[in-house]
Amino acid sequence: MSTPAIRIEVNGKQHDISADPATPLLYVLRDDLALNGAKFGCGLGQCGACTVMIGGQATLSCITPLSVVGKRPVKTVEGLGTADTPGPLQQAFIEEQAAQCGYCIAGMIMRAQALLESNAAPTDAEIRRHMALNLCRCGTHMRILRAVRRAADGMKGEAANRGPHE
Amino acid sequence: MQARTANERRKPPLLLIAGLLFLLAMVAAFALAWHPAIAPVATPAHDSFDSKRLARGRQLAAIGNCAGCHSAPDGKPYAGSVAIATPFGIIYSTNITPDADTGIGAWSEQAFRRALREGVSRDGHLLYPAFPYDHYTRLSEEDIGMLYAFLMTREPVREAAHGNRLRFPLGFRPLVAGWNLLYLDKGPYRPVAGQSAEWNRGAYLTEGLGHCSACHTPRNALGAERKRAYLGGGQAEGWYAPALNADSPSPQPWTVDELSAYLRTGISARHAIAAGPMQDVVHTLSHAEENDVRAIAAYIKSVQGEPAGQRQRAAASLQRASLGSLAAVRPSGQAPVAGEEQRLLYLGESVYAGACAGCHDAGRGIGSSAALRLPLAVAVYDPDPRSLIRIIREGIMPAPGETGRWMPGFAGALTDEQITALLAYLRRHAADLAPWPDVAAALKEASSP
Repeated sequence: MSTPAIRIEVNGKQHDISADPATPLLYVLRDDLALNGAKFGCGLGQCGACTVMIGGQATLSCITPLSVVGKRPVKTVEGLGTADTPGPLQQAFIEEQAAQCGYCIAGMIMRAQALLESNAAPTDAEIRRHMALNLCRCGTHMRILRAVRRAADGMKGEAANRGPHE
Repeated sequence: MQARTANERRKPPLLLIAGLLFLLAMVAAFALAWHPAIAPVATPAHDSFDSKRLARGRQLAAIGNCAGCHSAPDGKPYAGSVAIATPFGIIYSTNITPDADTGIGAWSEQAFRRALREGVSRDGHLLYPAFPYDHYTRLSEEDIGMLYAFLMTREPVREAAHGNRLRFPLGFRPLVAGWNLLYLDKGPYRPVAGQSAEWNRGAYLTEGLGHCSACHTPRNALGAERKRAYLGGGQAEGWYAPALNADSPSPQPWTVDELSAYLRTGISARHAIAAGPMQDVVHTLSHAEENDVRAIAAYIKSVQGEPAGQRQRAAASLQRASLGSLAAVRPSGQAPVAGEEQRLLYLGESVYAGACAGCHDAGRGIGSSAALRLPLAVAVYDPDPRSLIRIIREGIMPAPGETGRWMPGFAGALTDEQITALLAYLRRHAADLAPWPDVAAALKEASSP
């Protein structure tokens, strides 16, 4: 009766998952792969705490069934860096102290990451519009927006510094 | 090369005729296009308007949804500069705040009335029919006066007109005179004898200020509404605007109460949740006078008529909805499928089970964790899948700060193939109708904003 395993790529690694194809990706990430960054918030795709990237796009993993992932690579907050060596966006969130309770932050970071990967120099209005889908109940939105701004400026700076040498 | 030169040789006479016709049209248009400027006036003071008329003007502006085109999402109210994509290029709405230099602050009521009824700006230049003066021409002098009072008491904003980007030669405004000659049927609404006061009020608002048919009626090659297909289904910003006449795709016939509630809240538990451009419409209509909205509903219901063919669809769709799970539906009128089509349906079924059923099969009233049963949803019965594609991809989200029903978008979650499969499945199991032709083209069209 066991269903055939479904192969997905998460943070660059292949995994064979034995689960009902309708299982939300979020459950697979947390329960099968112990990637606990993405959070279960509302379970209805309304709060954004479960946001991960699939094929480069910010996606709500609580309403995305395992069956639709296919060959598209999944990236979670764990794929951006570690506590010791945070990625540039994670570093910006630390520097702006953008987390209060922290429950929404992994989702916020992944939605912001998707923006910065497709648009390295977003305007403030573009950041606001893009981040609007993710909710924070503590009210640290202003710090979150500043963190995304800081990361975008930092990455742009890096690119500018790198420019002449490469 | 040979064929090419032969082709080129045939071209000049055609060009010549076209050129002559064009010239002739220009001369004719010029004769029709000239209108005098109306002298500027000092902006009327706020207290020169009666407060009751002003309040009424606010409700009327809500029915006209003036803000829909004249208020930019990040801009000041009524300051214009909203880009409106048309088949003829991009037109930017103008500033209708009472700023004397860049808005309508120097417009007398007479100039305002002429703009609404004839599509002529205060200085005499012709306005493009993206501004629905072909509808506003039906407005009564009384209502125009109240709208004038409302707009002249808004906060004046300095915002110069944004240049349009229209296809050649449409940047040449006098050409609009030709369009007006063909399609502008000037004059106020004439009540229809034998119909009730409510019906006439509804017809007046629907055809005039509400300009419902601007989106819900198909347009011809010159962008004019095809009167013979009045309210027969059109388009708005890449969405299908459903037919409101006897061709309504809704499986469940609408009642006046349901239409009225839908227009004011965007929610109808047996039909739809307002999405796309209609969200904006219901948001503003929530500020309109309740009786006016009801009159619109009563008129639309009378245009729709008593549902004949709808009855069977209604019973069948209710029966499918009552099964709860779509997976339990056995499509009755559909040919059996095999091969690739079968594979697509299996894929669609699995997408539905994983991504949609959690809310749409929940079997409760429409609330925060349950959604419309799809055998009832008008969008799966539409003649083309544009609106459904956009709902799947973009979800249904009230404007920031507004309340309303909410559905997450699946653009990041589902690939085009998965959406194609989902559409095939929904069309067969939720609507029990034949597949939509050319889903691929609709997918492509719906991906451009």
